[in-house]
Amino acid sequence: MRTAAMAHQSKEPVTVPETTPTGTAAAAPAMSPRRRRRLGDATFSGIATTILVALLAVLCEIGPRAGWWGEEVLPSTSSIVASAADLLGQPQFWGDAARTSLEIGLSIVFGSVLGLLLGLVFWKLPTVGRIFEPYLVSFYAVPMVLFYPLAIVVVGINASSVVILATIMATIPVALNTTVGLNGIRPVYLKLARSLQCSPRQLLTSIALPAAAPFIVAGLRLGVVYALIGSIAMEFVTAQAGLGYRIRYLYEIFDNQTMFAYIFVVLVVSMILTALLVAVEKLLVKGRTQ
Amino acid sequence: MSEINLENVEVAFDTPAGTVVAVSGVTQRVPAQGFVSLVGPSGCGKSTLLSVIAGLTKATGGQVQVGGKVVNGPDRGIGVVFQEDSTLPWRTVLDNVRFALQVAGVDKEGQLERARWAIELVGLKGFADAYPSMLSGGMRQRVALARTLALEPGVVLMDEPFAALDQQTRIFLGAEVRSIWQRSAQTVLFVTHDISEAILLSEQVWVMSYRPGQIIDVIDVDLPAERDPSIVSSHAFNELHNRIWTSLQEESMRGFRQQEGAA
Ligand SMILES: Nc1ncnc2c1ncn2[C@@H]1O[C@H](COP(=O)(O)OP(=O)(O)O)[C@@H](O)[C@H]1O
Ligand SMILES: [Mg+2]
Repeated sequence: MRTAAMAHQSKEPVTVPETTPTGTAAAAPAMSPRRRRRLGDATFSGIATTILVALLAVLCEIGPRAGWWGEEVLPSTSSIVASAADLLGQPQFWGDAARTSLEIGLSIVFGSVLGLLLGLVFWKLPTVGRIFEPYLVSFYAVPMVLFYPLAIVVVGINASSVVILATIMATIPVALNTTVGLNGIRPVYLKLARSLQCSPRQLLTSIALPAAAPFIVAGLRLGVVYALIGSIAMEFVTAQAGLGYRIRYLYEIFDNQTMFAYIFVVLVVSMILTALLVAVEKLLVKGRTQ
Repeated sequence: MSEINLENVEVAFDTPAGTVVAVSGVTQRVPAQGFVSLVGPSGCGKSTLLSVIAGLTKATGGQVQVGGKVVNGPDRGIGVVFQEDSTLPWRTVLDNVRFALQVAGVDKEGQLERARWAIELVGLKGFADAYPSMLSGGMRQRVALARTLALEPGVVLMDEPFAALDQQTRIFLGAEVRSIWQRSAQTVLFVTHDISEAILLSEQVWVMSYRPGQIIDVIDVDLPAERDPSIVSSHAFNELHNRIWTSLQEESMRGFRQQEGAA
């Protein structure tokens, strides 16, 4: 398996090994810009995903009915969907959802901004990059939840501690991908910029950022995914509100039915978010079908 | 009018393996509105010399004057066409060409007008809205040429702009460059490793030696102004070709032996 450090040496966006208890890096390998080169890829995977999800739904419907497993292990699809629909009418659900959305939203914004800034610094000051990049890379190997007690001591048990840790998780892929993208800019573009006498701002906005865009966008996509994973995982571990917290709470009081309804909602939201990200990414790098 | 004056130009690079003298003691002149080609074995310092004239590399000795002014850095009056594909893939052809004008502070109307003019000049009318990825390598180099010409620089430096292209495309684009030059008041320095290309295009050919990069031969091309490719079978062309080939061959062999010895 490739390590983050190795991936960083290569010209591809950094992919990330699994780092959090609940997070999977399943989305990571799909982040290569190379993916866009084959047209119809997205359509194909869209159809395949729909079929897979449908098959899974049918299987989960038949399972408990045919007695392959009990309702308490995994309730049937129809009953999960029904409870999920129920949830949508409950103020408590919306309270949790609002808090989690806020945490995820803030982590995405802070993580993207911080990541971009770090990437720019590492590019502009290669010495700084050489010193700090390895630490950033090895941060992946550290389960972020372990810092939760520290975050609590510093800011207390509230949304801030979740946001701080989720922000760190979101920052890293953005920073690393941005650095790789900027360092990979073809030298002739920089020569062109010099010969045309671009100002530093023109160099940044008209050459550097667009040239590195496929990497940056892939990094941002990872950042969003990690903000989501991070927020829910941190809530799950220790928090007093939010979707992650609610799922753990329902688990502890053996309310499987509602717990699965929550999990279902989170899954659906994550899938919608991922689909949106793909669409946004397409829009951002349109035209250059290299 | 922009003539290029090189006075004892020297460029040395400090490398881990020691100092590499890429260009040494080059004293030459490209007359205003002249067209000079620079040929030499690969690695002899052609790009380095061009880069010094463009103000992108500092000479470690001597000086370069363009239009009577000492070159100290990049100048929009000196246009460069790079060997590598330098089109920006996220911009359309029109926006690629406009980019140079935008950076130069030309107003929007002027940008559009001059970009359209330059695109037509290089024969890419009808492709203004295409992205570079939809174009062939030859067309992309024409986009780069249009971008340089749009600024109407007094001096145009071209670093093996067509080296990566097939022979037919290269001959065709070369003829186009010459015809554009004939209709303009530009001074052109054209780097190539293709002797025929050098003779076909230029008024004078400089031959550069391998390490240290010196100009070892200067050949005036006394061929008619209108040159169609059939000229390559003429006696005059062959004589020129032989003379350049002989100086180059010795140099290439010497460079090859030096590299072999160093390896
Ligand atoms: N920035 C640099 N640092 C060190 N050596 C260089 C640099 N640029 C060019 N050289 C060396 O200078 C010599 C001439 O290079 P160049 O001008 O690119 O040759 P050409 O264009 O004729 O093929 C080569 O030996 C090359 O290795
Ligand atoms: Mg060269």
